[in-house]
Amino acid sequence: MPIVVYRLLVLGVTTLAVVAPLSLVIYQSFLTAPFFDPSAQMGFLAYSFVFADPDFWQAFWTTIAIASGMAAIAVPLGALLAFLMVRTDVPGREYLEPLILIPIFVSAVVIAFGYVVAIGPVGIFSTLAKDILGFVPWNLYSLLALIAIAGLTHVPHVYLYSAAALRGLSTDLEEAARVSGANPFRVAVNVSLPMILPAILFAGVLVFFLGFELFGLPLVLGDPQDVLVLSTYLYKLTNKLGVPSYQLMAVVVVAILAITAPLVFMQRLLLRQAQRYVSVRGKGLKTQPLRLHGWRWFAFGAIVLWLFVTVVVPLFGITLRSFVVTWGEGVKLLDVLTLDHYRELTEYPNVIRGILNTLGIGVIGGAVAVAWYTAIALAVHRWNSGWTRLVDYLVMVPRAMPGLIAGLALLWVFLFVPFLSPLKSTMASIWLAYTIVWLAYGMRLVSGTLLQVAPELEEAARTAGANDLRVKRDVTVPLIKYGMLASWLLIFLIFVREYSTGIYLLGPGTEVIGSLLVSLWGTGAIDLVSALSVVNVVMIGFGLAVAVRLGVRLHG
Amino acid sequence: MADLIVKDVALRLGDNEILKGVSVAVPAGEVVALLGPSGSGKTTLLRAIAGLETPHSGSIAIGDRVFFDAARGVELPAEERGLGLVFQSYALWPHRTVFDNVAYGLKLRGVSAAEIKTRVEKTLSQIGLGHLGARYPHQLSGGQQQRVAIARALVYEPPVILLDEPLSNLDAKLREEARAWLRTLIVTLGLSAIHVTHDQVEAMAIADRIVLLDAGLIAQEGPPTTLYNEPATLFAAEFMGSNIRLDGKLVENSGGRATIELFGERLTGIARTKAAAGGKATGIIRIERVRCGSTPGPNRLKMELKAPMYLGERWELVFARDTLTVRAYASAPLEPGEHYVEFPAEALWVF
Repeated sequence: MPIVVYRLLVLGVTTLAVVAPLSLVIYQSFLTAPFFDPSAQMGFLAYSFVFADPDFWQAFWTTIAIASGMAAIAVPLGALLAFLMVRTDVPGREYLEPLILIPIFVSAVVIAFGYVVAIGPVGIFSTLAKDILGFVPWNLYSLLALIAIAGLTHVPHVYLYSAAALRGLSTDLEEAARVSGANPFRVAVNVSLPMILPAILFAGVLVFFLGFELFGLPLVLGDPQDVLVLSTYLYKLTNKLGVPSYQLMAVVVVAILAITAPLVFMQRLLLRQAQRYVSVRGKGLKTQPLRLHGWRWFAFGAIVLWLFVTVVVPLFGITLRSFVVTWGEGVKLLDVLTLDHYRELTEYPNVIRGILNTLGIGVIGGAVAVAWYTAIALAVHRWNSGWTRLVDYLVMVPRAMPGLIAGLALLWVFLFVPFLSPLKSTMASIWLAYTIVWLAYGMRLVSGTLLQVAPELEEAARTAGANDLRVKRDVTVPLIKYGMLASWLLIFLIFVREYSTGIYLLGPGTEVIGSLLVSLWGTGAIDLVSALSVVNVVMIGFGLAVAVRLGVRLHG
Repeated sequence: MADLIVKDVALRLGDNEILKGVSVAVPAGEVVALLGPSGSGKTTLLRAIAGLETPHSGSIAIGDRVFFDAARGVELPAEERGLGLVFQSYALWPHRTVFDNVAYGLKLRGVSAAEIKTRVEKTLSQIGLGHLGARYPHQLSGGQQQRVAIARALVYEPPVILLDEPLSNLDAKLREEARAWLRTLIVTLGLSAIHVTHDQVEAMAIADRIVLLDAGLIAQEGPPTTLYNEPATLFAAEFMGSNIRLDGKLVENSGGRATIELFGERLTGIARTKAAAGGKATGIIRIERVRCGSTPGPNRLKMELKAPMYLGERWELVFARDTLTVRAYASAPLEPGEHYVEFPAEALWVF
């Protein structure tokens, strides 16, 4: 097979997979009824309906408020955390690093459930506080609590980019400030952080963007207060009118994309700028950590406090809840301990299927997804052509689509295209949705590995007489084998955690833990939800442990 | 085997004109060195011959096999040219053993397993690594890796072997040994080779002919002795050897002799310029041809000895006068103070 055929094939299939769902959504938004309805006509009816709905605008402004609030909390904390971890002698840094990244890898719904059972009105910590203080000093079901939790759980995203930028920075600038009389905090604020401003700015836009993707937290924490964001508004719309109101959902999707697409584009520009900024400075410098002296343990305490609030409280809450019959005021722990919830899990065939499917999508689906990402990356690898830009833009399209939306769009594709319909109720639909949603992330992992292959290793094979495809098979792929394994592990973690993408595709045969959790939560089955959440966390914990053990970098 | 002919090759990378029309002929059995400073286009020319870069004009062919011809729109991909290329970084595949690295080219040519074994072992023993076939590249020293890279390029008997600064990654002492070894190997096997280097000593030692490149054009080409002893241009004169540069005024130019004037004194040498008297001119002389005298005389300048330096096998003397600094070699140190430095007329070129 000539390389041209291979390239056209891979790019053609990818383009189709990415563009078809998007086009269908846009097409649907201009119809007056669902696309399968014979009476559907072209028109702006759906737009005028949605834009006239005060709930939509309420959700829109709430989303903006949450996204801004998140960024306002996550950016300073994440940047400061990066400074402490990368630049100073905070105790136990090597043990803290993987712990800091946990919120990225644990499903947001699990964290949300965890907060409900830990610090909700009758939560474990709430009843404890009431016993001691006589009242509960916090209210979980408020917009402020939602913003605070969303902000705190997104600190690691800012941390990752700021830390990477700080590692490329020469330390003598900080030492100069220190010698001039600045304390560590002033060094961070006056010298280090301004130097990595482009990276921090990028992370800020990223977090703001993630605010629009937020689904699990507002669904669980906002619902009791009727706080709607755009994604939960979309989700509620499904049931609002009784009949499938696809055209209205499509309009909401288009509205969300109209905000996220420019944000994705902006991130791309900012990231380039940030990288240019960092690469100016010499890398591989030996860095002497800034000594904090008395501040050391204070900083350590602050990091541990953050970890306690964002990781320990929800995970401890959900775990404890999964082992007790009930919880409330005056309940004694020893009286209510039980393993029944786990036994109960095995009584539901769909839950069993969900667990097995989740493992399958993580292990097998993850491997096939990495294979596809590699196929795309290889198609453009060392291809001196303007077509490689097509891939850049293709990758950005699903990036702008939150998982919930991508799942919905794919559902429609399966309904719309007759010969695809049989796939709808198989795991193939879930795999396709996951693989498209995580296209950008996966491509970044694989391309990063490919970048490390020295071009002359491939040129040597060319001059020895191997054609393009042979070079890829005999030289490039064997050289990136370990990078592909690492990518597989990270994709496993992501796929096992994923919950929003599978929601619209959930049905008999396509159950995965994430979407099951959301649907079970809707029925109020808190016992099952907590046990299943723990199962999910254990899977992710296992994957994380393997990754840390193998020395896999936890970010692409 | 036929000759490799490169004709008027011009090549752009982005907006940079790297090669501006270069023609080189490599007769079968000859070793040609592409010599030049960094940025002169020597590696690009080699890569264009190998098929790794695409020129926008010119042609490249071996005998009647056309590799590239811009006018006729012919471009043979690298893998179909059948050349051997040794990379500066060696580019040994880290996931393959030494044997498999060398055997790959034969495997691609559909050679039977038994024959691959004999041919690879023969090549490995030719380069003196017969016993290391089972090792992986990272288990070898730099010198050994370089030999494996050469074996890999030789094993399928390419008509021409291309060497891209193959010695530059070795340390100084090893490099001199490898130079002698490589020249012996090339002569023994009767290979045609193109050797890219920025080291003029290496080029002179290894090549039958040197092509000196400057900013994408050929500055001069010929046997090493010609390049060293009869440089055609100021660039060629200055690039080869260690030199002293004397900037002065051209006061006479006739009959193949030219005279320049500096510090009001006259120095006569071989004319390498056709300019008429009156303009500026530059005299170039190899350091080893400079002599020291104690009395005034023709082609001598009065200079002050600043610093004698002991180099082991000889002394290096640094003379100065105003802004002019002259280095010279001597077998014994001289007293500090004024001396007369002689620039013999038969060794001084005036450009």
